[in-house]
Amino acid sequence: MVNPVLLIAVPLGLAFTIPLFALFWRPAVKYIPPAALVFNLVVSLLLLAKVLENPVIVSIGGWQPPFCINLVAGPVGVLFSAIIALVGLLVSIYALDYIHPAPFTTKSFFDVERGGVKEGPTEKYHMLYLLLLTGATGVVLTGDIFNLFVFFEILCISSYALVAYLRDKGGIESAVKYLIQGAVGSSLLLIGIGLLYGLFGTLNMADIAQNIKSVSPISVFVPMVLIITGLGVEAAIFPLNAWLPDAHSSAPSSISAILSGIAIEVGLYAVVRVVFTIFGAQSFLLFLAFLGILTLLVGEMCAFSQNNIKRMLAYSSIGQIGLILFALAIATSYGVTAGLFQLVSHTLSKALLFLAAGYMIYRAGSMEISALEGMGRKMPLTCLAFTIGAFSLVGLPPFIGFPSKFLVVRAALATKETYFCALIGLALLGTVIEGAYFFRVVQVLYFKGEKPNPGRKEAPIVALLPMFIFVALIVIVGIYPKLVTGILNSAATELLSRSEYIKAVLGSIL
Amino acid sequence: MNFLDSYIYYIGAFGLILIGLYIILVKHNLIKVIVGLGILDTGVNLFLISVGYITKGTAPIFSRSGIDSEYMVDPVPQALVLTAIVIGVAVLALALSLAIRLYQHYGTLNLRKIREQKW
Repeated sequence: MVNPVLLIAVPLGLAFTIPLFALFWRPAVKYIPPAALVFNLVVSLLLLAKVLENPVIVSIGGWQPPFCINLVAGPVGVLFSAIIALVGLLVSIYALDYIHPAPFTTKSFFDVERGGVKEGPTEKYHMLYLLLLTGATGVVLTGDIFNLFVFFEILCISSYALVAYLRDKGGIESAVKYLIQGAVGSSLLLIGIGLLYGLFGTLNMADIAQNIKSVSPISVFVPMVLIITGLGVEAAIFPLNAWLPDAHSSAPSSISAILSGIAIEVGLYAVVRVVFTIFGAQSFLLFLAFLGILTLLVGEMCAFSQNNIKRMLAYSSIGQIGLILFALAIATSYGVTAGLFQLVSHTLSKALLFLAAGYMIYRAGSMEISALEGMGRKMPLTCLAFTIGAFSLVGLPPFIGFPSKFLVVRAALATKETYFCALIGLALLGTVIEGAYFFRVVQVLYFKGEKPNPGRKEAPIVALLPMFIFVALIVIVGIYPKLVTGILNSAATELLSRSEYIKAVLGSIL
Repeated sequence: MNFLDSYIYYIGAFGLILIGLYIILVKHNLIKVIVGLGILDTGVNLFLISVGYITKGTAPIFSRSGIDSEYMVDPVPQALVLTAIVIGVAVLALALSLAIRLYQHYGTLNLRKIREQKW
């Protein structure tokens, strides 16, 4: 049997060997993250077959739950860790050759240092990158709420540092913004955890879930609101997402792909796990559905008015997060399956979009959409990848976005409740706006700009390879959605059935 | 009086938390905001400690005889606070190093004047 602890231990250990490698054999440094993530992907896939029958519970330190810190590798956890490893692996292959575009911020005090991912000292980038993914894997696997906080902080602190990695004006400013908001959010989360510990005397999520009915609802309400607010900062739920467009647009594009494709999804997972499993708060779900639709509309409308391509993609991420939150808050088996499907689809499509946009920005020397005129003729493959990502995100048929959005709509209509039917109408309005701004970019890429620009050539093969693996995944899953719906179904069942989760974790001693 | 006796630590902790939040929301200077983050962290840590606090408490060592188990302090919150302090130090260090960079770029730490990025 493969132990799920390895999913956290191996990348964490390798992350801290990177500075040592940098001392003795610098060229090897950039191959460590792909190696660690290949390992994670293989272990996750091996585990996936096993946990579909029975979740694997690992107790660390030889104590029994609820006294130990435990890992719960159920279908949800392993599904997420497989996605994290897959996307992380492809982005780390892309980063092997990705030099960050410098030209568009001219005045910098650190021009010598800021050569970017290739020319500057790169070991910090690779170490933080691996730490970020370790934190994300830890959040999705842990069964202990304080442990969740610790892994969440690993994720957050490494992403603050990575946003500022280029040390340019915009990067530092948005990292400061992100750090202040994130730190306040983490403090609120910690207060909530402290209140829960005061109420129940335990930090094990299953144990808290089991005893949640034994205290009055109002005393549970305060920690719940604090925890959801704290996690909501990272998940970019509407009133808490002011940091996101800045941070995602000023980070290096490979990091934007990870932040957009993994970090906010992990935040959302934590919110959903807390609401569904720990608190079992049915009455709270309608509020979350409203918040989701609000997030969706705000994100899509802001994205529509952007001229900066990365900022547009960042706002579009906010919109997609809203849609996922809405689908998860439907809280039927259909709804949660659809939400998880939409989450997978957003991860693949948005990571692809940021990777393709990264090289387009690099060759064009500007993030303005108008600067990308006529790119379709100079960089046909990159633009093809971008177009497929955009079409998939909008939800056009042969791509993965179509079945996922279709399932969301079907789940909302299947509830036969007026609220959900009205809200899904608003969500479809959001999709129309989304289509408008993505098609505008695609039009600029292919049908505008006559002037030849000899300096723009195709992205290197190392960057095209991960992009086209994403494209292949998007198309294959789009045509055969049955490849993933089975796994998503059992993940949805795990999220929805609290008693099964409690029994799986505590069953041995009760 | 009795009320104050039993809740004084919670009042202090939440006082610190609110002072920290106030500083973060109101102050214009980044260094002061970072100080506010520090106060907020301290408040949260004090709160965690007071969750497990017992008057006249002792260390929970079961192997030593002569200790009344009624007065043993819960060790878990103290372990949590150790972790939280380490995390707080990491965040503060990163925030200060970012503040240095920000000053080098803009020549000011006034957050109301640093407005390159919006919408």
